[in-house]
Amino acid sequence: MTDGAASHRSPVAALVFGWIFPGAGHAYAGQRGKAVLFAVLITGLLAAGFALGRGTNLLPNEWWFAPQMGAGGPTALLTPLSQYLAIRRTVDWASPVREIGTLYTAVAGLLNLLVMMDAYVLLAYPGEKRERERAREAGGKTGDA
Amino acid sequence: MLESLGHFFRSLVSLHNPLWLFYPLLAVIAVVYKATKFDKPRDIALASLHFFVSVSLGMLALGLAFYLMSILF
Repeated sequence: MTDGAASHRSPVAALVFGWIFPGAGHAYAGQRGKAVLFAVLITGLLAAGFALGRGTNLLPNEWWFAPQMGAGGPTALLTPLSQYLAIRRTVDWASPVREIGTLYTAVAGLLNLLVMMDAYVLLAYPGEKRERERAREAGGKTGDA
Repeated sequence: MLESLGHFFRSLVSLHNPLWLFYPLLAVIAVVYKATKFDKPRDIALASLHFFVSVSLGMLALGLAFYLMSILF
């Protein structure tokens, strides 16, 4: 995608699209490869966490729900199902596997926040990444934050 | 002491230990984080591998340190 096309696109829209579905912000910004990568990884992580918790770990009354809502769209879709399953099933609240599954879902949400901000920066400061890459190649750095 | 260390490492590699589930989580964190820093697939892959190995070894070292503290004090 050219800078000309990207400059007409709203960074805030990229932020919102990225919250509605992981990777959508990057697709809007023209980075389709990264969009697919983020969509697969973040949604996959959320789904894996949901499965590890047997569908009972996306509950609005738990404080984990705050980071989980970072992956807004998929979390919002799965939450009613999780509430239903939490009532219907016998939940082992102390299960370590369920806890790790909950951690998976929370990390998926937090990673999506990072990805949303990356999409925002791509459109708000279009030249910055290219300059950083050039500086990195010139200095031979690894680019760690 | 040696027996305790042996128990520590045996429990780590046991297939029943749910801690194995942290590795896929770490791999996804590594790839997503490094994909926001780099654009080329090769750079993303190398940086992710570096991150994965560093954090794995670091967490192992921390776990070992806390385990030793728990049996010494």
